Amino acid sequence: MLDWFVVNLVCPCLGTVAFAVLFHVPNRFYVSCAAIGTWGWLIYCALLKPTSPAIASFAASLTVVLISRILTVRMKCPITMFVIPGIFPLIPGASVYYMAYDLVISETREAGQSGFLAVKIAFGIVFGIVSAVSIPREVFSGDYWRARRRKKNKDDWY
Amino acid sequence: MRFQQIIENKTKYMDLLLLTDPQRDMIYRYLDTGDMFALYEGKELCTLAVVTVSGNRECEIRNLVTTYGNGGKGYTRAMIHYLSERYRSECDTMYVGTWDYEESMRAYKKGGFEYSHTLNDYYVHNYQEPIYLDGKQMTDLVYLKKQLDAEVDLKKVVNFALNAGRTLLKNGAEIFRVDETIQRICKRYHVEEVDTFVLSHAIFINAERDGEEVYSKIKHVPLSSANLAIVAEVNDLSRKITAGMISLDEAIEELDQIEHMPAKKKSHLIVAAGAGASAFGYLLGASAMESICAFFIGCILYIWVLFAGKHRLSKIIINIFGGILITTMAVLMYVFVPVSMQIDGMIIAGIMPLVPGAAFVNAIRDIADSDFLSGTVRMIDALLVFVYIATGVGIALGVFSNWIGGVGVCLTGL
Repeated sequence: MLDWFVVNLVCPCLGTVAFAVLFHVPNRFYVSCAAIGTWGWLIYCALLKPTSPAIASFAASLTVVLISRILTVRMKCPITMFVIPGIFPLIPGASVYYMAYDLVISETREAGQSGFLAVKIAFGIVFGIVSAVSIPREVFSGDYWRARRRKKNKDDWY
Repeated sequence: MRFQQIIENKTKYMDLLLLTDPQRDMIYRYLDTGDMFALYEGKELCTLAVVTVSGNRECEIRNLVTTYGNGGKGYTRAMIHYLSERYRSECDTMYVGTWDYEESMRAYKKGGFEYSHTLNDYYVHNYQEPIYLDGKQMTDLVYLKKQLDAEVDLKKVVNFALNAGRTLLKNGAEIFRVDETIQRICKRYHVEEVDTFVLSHAIFINAERDGEEVYSKIKHVPLSSANLAIVAEVNDLSRKITAGMISLDEAIEELDQIEHMPAKKKSHLIVAAGAGASAFGYLLGASAMESICAFFIGCILYIWVLFAGKHRLSKIIINIFGGILITTMAVLMYVFVPVSMQIDGMIIAGIMPLVPGAAFVNAIRDIADSDFLSGTVRMIDALLVFVYIATGVGIALGVFSNWIGGVGVCLTGL
């Protein structure tokens, strides 16, 4: 149980914040970055078993960008602040390593598989980001929903 | 005496505005688009003004009201003076419309306004209830005007906008943000006709005024590492400019300060690289001991990255040698640390600080925004970094597996 906590909560938090520091993200955004990174990782873990790594990466990066967009509107800052550190736990570093390693020991077939997996995961991330980015900006601001509710109430009234 | 621009919750001051403009819907017409300024004495609100700017370098004071008990203390004149200073760089003429009443015109005339023109029966047509002052019905709207002598310097505005754009682009902002920031700055300082073309490593800008004066400039911006703090600061500055909170000169100064903002301490960066490496290593299934080793690998790797950055070494060298360094250290730790460990966990963890996350994410975002050219360039940049790292790791692994027999056996046994 303790191990689970360390692996799935502490590590993504710590790692995401570490990368936020590396990219010079201002201190006030660290907590949000950590939360986003952790959520992305949790979604990835939850979906990894029932589906494939690519689909899990897709869902996780979608979550990361969606949360980032909501926070961006709230905190009035560029979305890059959250997305870049938040996406880090999902980057297929391991597959790239295994590809290089298999190439060195002349296991071309294995290398092809690892490389293909890396490409699939990368495409999952790409689609996740693209689909979340394509949602119009207004949807993420509170005003939009308030205005809608007001309009709806008005319609009821008449 | 202290001036402050009010940006949010303008409707909170409705009661006050109604004193000089008695109809709510007339106030709503300018409240949103207008800039609202307040004069405070201590904590007390003394004078409130709303100004709207129209495209042809003219602005109008739509409402100027002094709170009860503060009349005759010179607050109104101070506000008029402040507003004319404030809009000097943006506008040539400032108008104010008031009712035909000597008392209310006096303050403006003292502030340098003179008669411009009259709209007959304005209050009769636009206001539902007749307005009486001193028992006399107000019918006409009298416009007073004042010349604000200043020229917008086209070159200065464009150069500033370009500089802001360059700072953003250099520090890892998306193309559309750079584009939008430049356009916004130019619009706010009344350079209306401006065309920009932003690439991942260059900005082209062309500005025109009245079809006569044309100014264009090209700036090369080499691809470099991300510094999101600067992006955030420039974004805040751009917000302030759009809200009209600072003049051009102040903005130029502030941008200069942002560019020379102190970076994070190198020791912090090094420790962060180590922490990132070990955290992700543990996440990806390395053992506790391997993660601790990865921490040191990450730290030493980042010392190399900082050293290489200082001497402007090319990306190829930084990443290939980085990969070699990681692998070498992992093998050394494998051999000399007397705990059973696996090499691949340490290497995967050690790679993380080199991974081009910023370039990758920005490339995707640019492609999603249909900036295909820049997106492709950044994506190739990111992919090549991956290739360099893999090459470095591959070279080192190859050397070690042939060179040190013992390690080689362990390696193939992974």
